[in-house]
Amino acid sequence: MNTSSEGAQDEVIQIVHPQLVTLPHPVRFNEGTPNPTNHFGILMQPFFLDLVTDTDEERRRFETNPIVLDAVARGMPVERYRKLLHELYHIVWHFNPVCAAGASRMPDEYRQIRYFLYEHMHEESGHEGWVINDLEAVGIPKERVRVHLPSVFTLALTGYNYWAADRRHPCSVLGMIYALEVIASVYGGPFSLAIKEALHLQGEAGTTFISSHATMDAAHMAELRVVLNTLHDADSRSAITESAIINFHHFTKIFEAV
Amino acid sequence: MNQLGDSHRPSWLDRPYNFIQLEWDSTLSLLRMKTQVRPIQCYSLGLMAEMHQVFTDISTSSGYVKHLVMTSDIQGVFNFGGDLSLFVLLIRARDLESLQMYGHRCIELIWWMETASQRGIHTVVLVQGDALGGGLESVLPYHKVIFERSAQGGYPEVLFNLFPGMGAWNFTIRKAGFAVANEMILSGHIYTADELHYRKLVDMVVDDGKGEAAVQQAVRFVHPRLRGTLAALESRRAAACITYESLKEIVNQWAATAMTLTDRDLRFMERLARAQIRKIGSFGEGAVEEIKKLELSIAWERRHIAPWTIS
Repeated sequence: MNTSSEGAQDEVIQIVHPQLVTLPHPVRFNEGTPNPTNHFGILMQPFFLDLVTDTDEERRRFETNPIVLDAVARGMPVERYRKLLHELYHIVWHFNPVCAAGASRMPDEYRQIRYFLYEHMHEESGHEGWVINDLEAVGIPKERVRVHLPSVFTLALTGYNYWAADRRHPCSVLGMIYALEVIASVYGGPFSLAIKEALHLQGEAGTTFISSHATMDAAHMAELRVVLNTLHDADSRSAITESAIINFHHFTKIFEAV
Repeated sequence: MNQLGDSHRPSWLDRPYNFIQLEWDSTLSLLRMKTQVRPIQCYSLGLMAEMHQVFTDISTSSGYVKHLVMTSDIQGVFNFGGDLSLFVLLIRARDLESLQMYGHRCIELIWWMETASQRGIHTVVLVQGDALGGGLESVLPYHKVIFERSAQGGYPEVLFNLFPGMGAWNFTIRKAGFAVANEMILSGHIYTADELHYRKLVDMVVDDGKGEAAVQQAVRFVHPRLRGTLAALESRRAAACITYESLKEIVNQWAATAMTLTDRDLRFMERLARAQIRKIGSFGEGAVEEIKKLELSIAWERRHIAPWTIS
């Protein structure tokens, strides 16, 4: 029985990127795959719904952090914005390698996640260059970006994500993706608007990365929901939830520190 | 004095909460519930889970609580309504199920309040600040709705192409009639306490700082005639019936409509969320001022007024 209220039981969704359809085993799966029952025979609800609920307090802790509140309402001085972009550069640089670490350890029972990650990595490829361009627009030359050392909070974030992909559960990378895409798609828009106002930036100059991810990650969120709802085992679910909570937590710390 | 005496004081009164503070007055068997979702006071999933727990606890100790009073512990804000950031997240994720889940949780709380008289509980709400969208509709099922004069309320949802879906239509029509419900919900306008009182949506308006005294007065007035009052309120429900099914149907329509919001609508929603933050941080104008600006800009767009030109 299909539990999806969208009635999508017959709708087969192809999640592979159009440019990657030549892969030997293009993944197709049915969004309306029935959710299994738990030990008590009660139908499990879609994982995305659980993930949103179980990480809601950490999301709100990020959203209501005084530094974040202030930044979203009033932007921030250029010096702090430069620091934030520097930290973002490292996070974005490590994003694809973390996804690759997870994908490389993923057994075939999570094949659909592995192919989702291939597609996602393809889309995110080269985005650290956008951050470099934004930094240039606010007065930091490329050479200085590449020698910048990340803060301890950024190291903690990326370090955890590598460890989780390697030792915790390969699917934990989806928790990282969830947290970063929520931050980008929900808060990225208002934040980039506030930054433009505060720093009198023209057009997208200086905010390309944040502005474009605010829009782009909206589409990514929908794709992520679909792929998360294919997961039914407790191990991967708990690893993803833990990862999302930790990513929200560390990202809040990074924001605080700049 | 409570007939059961303090020796029967249930342990759930001491349950720790993050977003709620409970105060118990054994003389009147009065439970006060103060909500405190800092810094943005809205119906977050966390607050709703705690309210659900409180209501469940009250129901399990049948007859212990005779009066339930709800207030906000955040200065200047009663409740901003739905968690706008969560809505943006779920809409962008195309997650109809989670939006429906959020809506169903809301109406479960609304329905408990609507049926409080069946449980032998008289309910009073004191609004001392902004009550927007879900913040306003959540107070309507209370038996006595008291506003302090500087408080404001309204349903701004239509400004971003949505409507209040958790009981606003049902309860506004019951209290104020079709015409007022149409005017309020379809305009998105924000009303002063006196304007809401004039429209019969608010039962009593008192000067700022006099709200607590008004609550005490309302409770003490009902207390000696509680059984009769509750029986009358219960028959009032039968006379102007609101069903759980109709609330559920509307909430499902609300969720389906939310899924049709465009990027422009979501940007309006984000503007409002940003204004809520400004109000909290005292950085400038708050959500009510932002809604007024939105009203103006939308009216401007709709009139298709030609730009000024010098001929």
